[in-house]
Amino acid sequence: MTTRLLAPFTWLGSHGLSMTQGLGNWGSLITDTVRALRHVDVWGRLLLPQLARIGVDSIPIALFIATFTGIVLALQASYTFTGAIPLYFVGVLVGKTMIMELGPVLTGLALAGRIGANVAAEIGSMKVTEQIDALETLAYPPNAYLVVPRVLAGVIMFPAVTILAIGMGITSGWVTSLQLLDMSTPQFVRGLTLFFFPFDVWFAIIKATSFGLVVTLVGCFYGFHTTGGAEGVGRSTTKAVVVSSMLILVLDAFWAVLLL
Amino acid sequence: MKRRNETLVGLVLVLGVVTAVFGSLWLQGWEFGRTVETVEAVFSDVGQAAEGNAVKVRGVRIGRIDEVSVHPEGEFVQVVLRVDADVPRPPDAAVVLAPESMFGEWQAEIVSRSLYPHFQFLDPNEPDVLPGYALPDISRLTATADRISENLADLSDRIGIAFSEETAENLARTIQNVEGVSDRLTQLIEQQAATFDVLAARVEEATGEIGRAATASRTTFDHLSDLMATGEVEMLLTDVRDVAEGLQSLTQEATTTTSEFQKMAVRAESTFARVDRILGAAEDGEGTLGRLLNDPTLMNEVEATLVQLQLLLEDVRENPRRYLRLSIF
Amino acid sequence: MTIQLDDLHKSFGQKHVLRGFSLEVRDGETLTVLGPSGSGKSVMLKHIVGLLTPDRGQVLVDGQNVGELEMNDLYDLRRKVGYVFQLAALFDSLSVADNVGLGLHRVGGFREDQIRERVRECLHLVDLEGFEDRFPAELSGGQKKRAGLARAIATKPKYLLYDEPTTGLDPLTKAVIDQLILKMRQELGVTGLVITHDMESAYRVSDRIAMLYEGRRRFLGTPDEIRGTEDPVVRAFIEGDPQYLERRETTVEEAS
Repeated sequence: MTTRLLAPFTWLGSHGLSMTQGLGNWGSLITDTVRALRHVDVWGRLLLPQLARIGVDSIPIALFIATFTGIVLALQASYTFTGAIPLYFVGVLVGKTMIMELGPVLTGLALAGRIGANVAAEIGSMKVTEQIDALETLAYPPNAYLVVPRVLAGVIMFPAVTILAIGMGITSGWVTSLQLLDMSTPQFVRGLTLFFFPFDVWFAIIKATSFGLVVTLVGCFYGFHTTGGAEGVGRSTTKAVVVSSMLILVLDAFWAVLLL
Repeated sequence: MKRRNETLVGLVLVLGVVTAVFGSLWLQGWEFGRTVETVEAVFSDVGQAAEGNAVKVRGVRIGRIDEVSVHPEGEFVQVVLRVDADVPRPPDAAVVLAPESMFGEWQAEIVSRSLYPHFQFLDPNEPDVLPGYALPDISRLTATADRISENLADLSDRIGIAFSEETAENLARTIQNVEGVSDRLTQLIEQQAATFDVLAARVEEATGEIGRAATASRTTFDHLSDLMATGEVEMLLTDVRDVAEGLQSLTQEATTTTSEFQKMAVRAESTFARVDRILGAAEDGEGTLGRLLNDPTLMNEVEATLVQLQLLLEDVRENPRRYLRLSIF
Repeated sequence: MTIQLDDLHKSFGQKHVLRGFSLEVRDGETLTVLGPSGSGKSVMLKHIVGLLTPDRGQVLVDGQNVGELEMNDLYDLRRKVGYVFQLAALFDSLSVADNVGLGLHRVGGFREDQIRERVRECLHLVDLEGFEDRFPAELSGGQKKRAGLARAIATKPKYLLYDEPTTGLDPLTKAVIDQLILKMRQELGVTGLVITHDMESAYRVSDRIAMLYEGRRRFLGTPDEIRGTEDPVVRAFIEGDPQYLERRETTVEEAS
């Protein structure tokens, strides 16, 4: 009798448990990482190599993507506007979309592939070869040693890389306008400045920072939860890239709803 | 390796920050290496002007609008302009806010006040603050037209109240003015017709309506004097109805151009319905025509709105593009 | 003050791995825990450094209950316990010297040259001098194990835990590793706990041998005692003969 009465609660409990377990894992990763922040002695000297790896090494791919995005934006804008809207609106479109949307998002997606996979694979293979246990036995908190430097590097370098990508995209859009669209520099700049608000840049920085946080955290999460040898590392890597790419798009919409 | 990393990371971070800061400043219209100063101006209303819009002197950009804020007591709007210090300003400087292009962004132009005697600049209390005036835009043009028709309707309402020879004269003068204005509008539109044929045709049609309405009302008031003697009430009423219908069709015309007009049209229509009702009542012989028109404040308001309309038309003549953007969006 | 395991229980999901395992490691001895693969030897070992916490029972290291320690106390305790991983678990991105020196950096209070000196000492102990600047990928299996051992002893631990130290090595390298285990006890005086399923190696290094079977301790005694035991499970294991158990069961039946 009592068992039957309690059955719904048991059901709720077990399902709730399994459902919240994933969230719980996330929660403990985040709280452990926040707590690990105080071990500056551990992560302090590991930060620089990560800044270089996550930031500096990502610059070529980010600039490459931005260059071509700028060219395409300028050409498509002129294709759409010709005859209906003055051509200086090419500047408006290139500037606005590069700063507010394509700069942060395309850079974020490119780096989700590069950094997310890299982080997940590295931590994942450390996990399956017991290197993370080894860290523990050497009295290193793994979160301080592995997660904190990567996440901090992501949070610091994503905005910097994104800003450079935006600059590159606008420059390539500008050069395209001059060379292929017969526009003049003042025309392009007029469009660029027409609807510009300083908030646009903040918006880009906020987005890029959140993307950096998400990409590195997701990479670390799937790295830490890797099981099953080389195949498991492969699975974690794929998951990290897929999940962080999806989260970037979700966050993109989230910030747009929240801040615009 | 480590040293190289340090340098590269530092470089990327510095480049990022520099790009963000100087890029934003440049896009906001900062002129590096120039001395700037701030100028304050006051307005009763700033239209669509916003922070970051261009400030110009004789069409040359010399700065931007830095701040727009409503005065704490809510009586006027304070606007701070950031401009080049070394550009001379006229001694009787005033600021006119107006659309910069047909795409909705505005500009502030520093002008000599004496060049625009009919603009109703708001006079500041403090010596260093410039007087300002924001040009009405198309929506205000239509709002004004709406108010005129409303006033006319009100006027018709009063027809049931009183009538004197003086107010009759006033009314006659007013209608004359309406006619004058619409004549000028017609001329103006004809001038512009070649350039903006589609819209212009539509506006021309509309102004034709105004003209017809005004002519009709003119006739009304030609009859008005006779009326005193002959009592041709019925004829007068027919004419007034003509006026009302003319304006009504004008408003309907406007409805087809923007949705902004739609709300107004609904209002106007109900107004005219009211006119009809009252006229009907008058026809039935309720009240006397003598009581219809003895309210001078109403007259004055009609006059005032007509002055506004005239200002607007002048502005339309000067900056036709400003008002013809409807065909684009 | 020693390592003491009391009635240790641990399950992973439905799998009940440890079912009341108890063991006491005496000061200065080298104790080997035998057991078939997957019997929970590694699980038991990980409880000692707090990588796993028991479902029931307790692990005492120098009288401290490992499962209930605060993080900082646990880290202090781990410095007393060196852990030699099965596949060495060297950090791929660090050179051998950095791998060995990593624990010292964490302890703190050492100058760079002191750390270098200590690293050289440890590498000398495991006969890996001159390998400081190599990376793990450039080492052979045996060299990796030795480097892993050097890393474990760098902080001068009181206890050394060896997770299958000889698995996957050729007989000659196995012998080298066994000698190193003995050397650690003789020269550094560390207390050792070895888990293995390699009998040869167990006889060579052990003062006492225990056997973990079905989650409990099946046997505990000296190498001589285990050679003479009549326990069929232990005999089957040390003789490497799966049929032993069956044969014995039939003999017993026939006898009765």
